[in-house]
Amino acid sequence: MVLYNFKKITVVPSGKDFVDIVLSRTQRQTPTVVHKGYSISRIRQFYMRKVKFTQQTFHDKLSTILEEFPRLDEVHPFYGDLMNVLYDKDHYKLALGQLNTARNLIEKICKDYVRLLKYGDSLYRCKQLKKAALGRMCTVMKRVGPSLAYLEQVRQHMARLPSIDPNTRTILICGYPNVGKSSFINKITRADVEVQPYAFTTKSLFVGHTDYKYLRWQVIDTPGILDHPLEDRNTIEMLSITALAHLRAAVLFFIDLSGSCGYSIAQQAALFKSIKPLFANKPLIIVCNKTDLQPLETLAEDERQIIQELKKEASKCAAGQLINAVPDDDDGCLLTMSTMTEEGVIAVKNAACERLLQQRVEVKMKSKKISDCLNRIHVAMPRPRDTKERPPCIPQAVIEARAKSNANRERKLEKDLENEHGGAGVYSVNMHKHYLLAVEDWKEDVVPEIIDGHNIADFVDVDILQRLDELEREEDALAEAALANDDEDMSEEELSPEEMQALAVIRRKKKKLLEEHRLKKTTADSRPIVPRRHDKDREYTSSRMGRHLVSMGLDPSAALNRVRSRSASRRGRKRERSTIGEDDADAMDIDQPSKRLRARSRSRSQSRALTEAIPGEGFKDTAQKQKAVKLAQKASKKRNKNARRGEGDRVIVNLKPKHLFSGKRSIGKTDRR
Amino acid sequence: MPQGDYIELHRKRHGYRPDFFERKRKKDAREVHKRSAFAQKALGIKGKMFAKKRYAEKATMKKTLAMHSERTNRHKIDQVEEGAVPAYLLDREETSRAKVLSNTIKQKRKEKAGKWEVPLPKVRPIAQDEMFRVIRSGKRKTKQWKRMVTKATFVGAGFTRKPPKYERFIRPMGLRFTKAHVTHPELKCTFNLEMIGVKKNPNGPMYTSLGVITKGTVIEVNVSELGLVTPAGKVVWGKYAQVTNNPENDGCINAVLLV
Repeated sequence: MVLYNFKKITVVPSGKDFVDIVLSRTQRQTPTVVHKGYSISRIRQFYMRKVKFTQQTFHDKLSTILEEFPRLDEVHPFYGDLMNVLYDKDHYKLALGQLNTARNLIEKICKDYVRLLKYGDSLYRCKQLKKAALGRMCTVMKRVGPSLAYLEQVRQHMARLPSIDPNTRTILICGYPNVGKSSFINKITRADVEVQPYAFTTKSLFVGHTDYKYLRWQVIDTPGILDHPLEDRNTIEMLSITALAHLRAAVLFFIDLSGSCGYSIAQQAALFKSIKPLFANKPLIIVCNKTDLQPLETLAEDERQIIQELKKEASKCAAGQLINAVPDDDDGCLLTMSTMTEEGVIAVKNAACERLLQQRVEVKMKSKKISDCLNRIHVAMPRPRDTKERPPCIPQAVIEARAKSNANRERKLEKDLENEHGGAGVYSVNMHKHYLLAVEDWKEDVVPEIIDGHNIADFVDVDILQRLDELEREEDALAEAALANDDEDMSEEELSPEEMQALAVIRRKKKKLLEEHRLKKTTADSRPIVPRRHDKDREYTSSRMGRHLVSMGLDPSAALNRVRSRSASRRGRKRERSTIGEDDADAMDIDQPSKRLRARSRSRSQSRALTEAIPGEGFKDTAQKQKAVKLAQKASKKRNKNARRGEGDRVIVNLKPKHLFSGKRSIGKTDRR
Repeated sequence: MPQGDYIELHRKRHGYRPDFFERKRKKDAREVHKRSAFAQKALGIKGKMFAKKRYAEKATMKKTLAMHSERTNRHKIDQVEEGAVPAYLLDREETSRAKVLSNTIKQKRKEKAGKWEVPLPKVRPIAQDEMFRVIRSGKRKTKQWKRMVTKATFVGAGFTRKPPKYERFIRPMGLRFTKAHVTHPELKCTFNLEMIGVKKNPNGPMYTSLGVITKGTVIEVNVSELGLVTPAGKVVWGKYAQVTNNPENDGCINAVLLV
């Protein structure tokens, strides 16, 4: 079932455009430079190539045109006839023949001039020969110009032909103009054919598609036909005649009972008789339209007579083709309907489809191909040996077991529940039913899973209530201790002078730390990238701290305990959260300032001031150390900028950077392009 | 069977866009500017082709304008009709039979003398080394007595080469022509006629005998196609024509009939 697609034909350019296209293609795709001083064979080759290339291009383009246009003898006769009616077969063939001749002429020209080019002994001569050759080819194309224009018109028109499949199920609608054919097709399909009160509104075939019994049907609307002999018919009427002649379709012949189309019933009957030969082998139905204006029953007697005659003739046609015809049921051939009120429209369609389907099935059954199909399907039934009954044999025990299992099924299955409550997509299982909880009512409680962005499951602990009690106890204890210690005032006026001094020292230290930090931040460039490790000799131990505290006159035990309890190696971090809460009350305690600081920065190393002169280092005083520090920083700046880790780092990351080894030198040496 | 009328159908049913006409008007107005911008900016072959097309357009435009303004133009009526004769000559006859006869005799004498009135009286002289190419022959390729003709030639139907060992002038097959495009100077149309022979080559008798065809050569062509008849009633089948182009550069022989 080849569906003819005439839309894929390439555009046919006009004569001038064709020449332009080919010549510009030659100019672009062949070498363009040739000089007088080249060797003569090179010059010859250059020009011969151009001539050959042009000929090749012409040949290719003309060949595509000739191949893509359909040959009227090779398409379905319906399309062949249609195109003959529309485009005149002779003209079409002549145009294509002219293109073919042009192609051959161009080939000859190419051969002649390539032969002459072999004797070209100067650039001028070869160039003139090439000019002459190309000029002649273009003249040939210019002469063929009108054919090209005609073919372009044909192509455009062909691309817009409606896609009618000549082999599939089709319903053809014919009749006088203005009878209601286009309204009918608008009713049963989605085709939007123009309906107007003047004759010959439909000037061409229109296709619509409809469905019947899960099959796709084509409905073809034709222009109206007038009653005159075949030779006098114009192009538009010839379209309908072509369609009637070549398509194996169910034919619906429309009659206008009211005469509002401008033709009497007698005239329409005469038309029917004259095109009867076209209805051979086609299921025919006579449709009386516009019954809202003029119902069949109230028709005048003589007109009724005419209609009856038509019916008889139609049924004769029908009887001739079908074996299981409807000879006694004449109504199958004549139907009434009205497209305005839409009564009987579907009935007509169904009747037509049914008749055609029957016919097609019959034809298929009679043809040879169906037997191949039938042969492949074979339902094998074993031949009965005798008339004895042989029912299936089931042992008694199985029957009893089955009965028992059916009885056991008092328990309601989930599946039964599902079926009860609406089926698979509707019922959703209640998963909370089987929870084991302390209180049964809690089963249906809604428990949130995420609060404030945290998973509740992370925080739920098995013995969470115990912990809660412990925490509350600790807090109470701390509060009491704080109250106990609250005898001392925290205000500054009641501090003793030594305490004041200590406070001052602490404050200064803090300030210095802050300053140094800020300094470090601003001079990040001058800092060595690898930081000095704090305490790489590991001398800041908890025992040292204890000694220091003792030397200051404080009790170290609590601090030591805390430090030990909080060392990272001992416990997991979560535990430490509870102990931190305790410390907050002591935050401002002057006695153990370092504890607080230490508590805060457990894992971070606390760096000392860089310029503070430590006794064991060897500097006279802070000033000297500062100077030394400055010198060290200055020295390391250059290294830092080169991403060197230290003075001994001589690694070159990129031994051959591309920008030094590639490219042309404008000025300068290779090491600094 | 045009099915491309869906555009008109849509317009009939739904009408135009509200701004359709305005947009169309503006677009058309812009076309002029676009075209001029293109004309100014296009370079190379594109520019040349466009300029040529545009020039042709302008020329036709000018012509039609001139035609239309013909009405308002004024013409001086100063011309004299062809064949108008002043009053004192009215009584005389123009030519008599005697005159015709004497003209024929004079022409025959001219023919005998070999002097012709030809469209191209003078042609560029062609040197021998331009006409011939030296072909080396012999076992050691030292002999240089052979020559190959580099121009178009005519050899005739019954031509057979001399044995290759002895032929001094080689006329290659690729350069042999049999047909010429002959233009009739009065009818101004061109026919593709067969040649009968080379009558005279202005560069010398040697070239005439070789049959070399260059610009200015007088050739004899078969004009039986034209159906010319002498006053006596005999059919003319051969006439002279003079070559007007360089056949070796164009690949074809263009000639003008000598009437």
